[in-house]
Amino acid sequence: WLPALQLVRHGSKAVTRHWKAMHFQRQKLMAVTEYLAPRPAIPPRCLVPRKEKVEEDNGYARLLRRQVEEVFRDNRMIAVCQYNSMPGEDMVLMRHYLRKHNIEVKFVLNEIIRPMLSQSKYKNLLPLFVARNILLVSPETKVKEMLRVLKGVPQINLLGACIDNTILSRQGVENFAKLPSLEAAQGQTVGALALLPSQTSSLLQGGSAHLTALLDEHIRQLQAGEMGSPDESAPAQSLGAH
Amino acid sequence: KKMASKVRVVLRPVKSIVVRFCPFESNVESTRKFLGCINHKKIQATNRNCEVTADVRHDGSEPLVDVMFVDGDRLIMKGANLTTIEMLTALGSRCNAKDLKEEQKSKKSP
Repeated sequence: WLPALQLVRHGSKAVTRHWKAMHFQRQKLMAVTEYLAPRPAIPPRCLVPRKEKVEEDNGYARLLRRQVEEVFRDNRMIAVCQYNSMPGEDMVLMRHYLRKHNIEVKFVLNEIIRPMLSQSKYKNLLPLFVARNILLVSPETKVKEMLRVLKGVPQINLLGACIDNTILSRQGVENFAKLPSLEAAQGQTVGALALLPSQTSSLLQGGSAHLTALLDEHIRQLQAGEMGSPDESAPAQSLGAH
Repeated sequence: KKMASKVRVVLRPVKSIVVRFCPFESNVESTRKFLGCINHKKIQATNRNCEVTADVRHDGSEPLVDVMFVDGDRLIMKGANLTTIEMLTALGSRCNAKDLKEEQKSKKSP
């Protein structure tokens, strides 16, 4: 049994080129299932920001930190250099030469060194530690040899150094290398200090020394005159007695 | 987005590069990284005659990169407000341009 009337007006099919009104049930379904964008009640920037969890240090970072602290405590001379990638054999050679002068080469990580430096007294070394660096540490201060080795290696640039708790720039390091040794410097100081008192003593004794010289000269003249006439011998002798 | 080591620079038309900075200043980071990237094996391998010198001063002057080209041109980059990648790409583009010019010249006059 077919329905007598089928709901088709004007012979338009289901798929048309113009927009065809949907069936009422379909319209209802579409209205109900429309997409609603989820809007946050408060925009997230008004909320208190979530405090990110502070990461706990893993043991490796702690170990590295301990090593760095040791390095800073043990050594008198610490030089900071910029490290541009160097071929391996050059690296080994350089390490060998520096080891002969008891200088050790240490690679450092900036993330570990920076917090350590900001807490310790080496605050002024902080801006040095950007990009790749190495530390040359040594318990003795053999700056001349170190500079010579570094001159032979073009890929390592000396940025600064901390020698005997004094922070030096590259200029300062070069000046330090030109300084004479400790004994020579001490001798120079002693000489400079002794100069003034010696001048004073010579000034004080100058007058009497001059007088003595004049009297000696006078005696000699009189004695020379005595050879000719022995009358002057009495006053000359009395002068000589005083 | 770390492209600093991947930027390829062909240093053939470059005669020498002088990088000057003062490590105790705070605006030298990009210049130091630039120096580190230039000293990479691959970039150095493109031109063994190019001398890269680093000038370390302590007079508060700003970071400077001075590039001398083979044909006499000079490129001065003041790295205080530039990033490493910008400097590398600027240098790379100029090197490529000079390379192209040289190739054209060599092709025109055989």
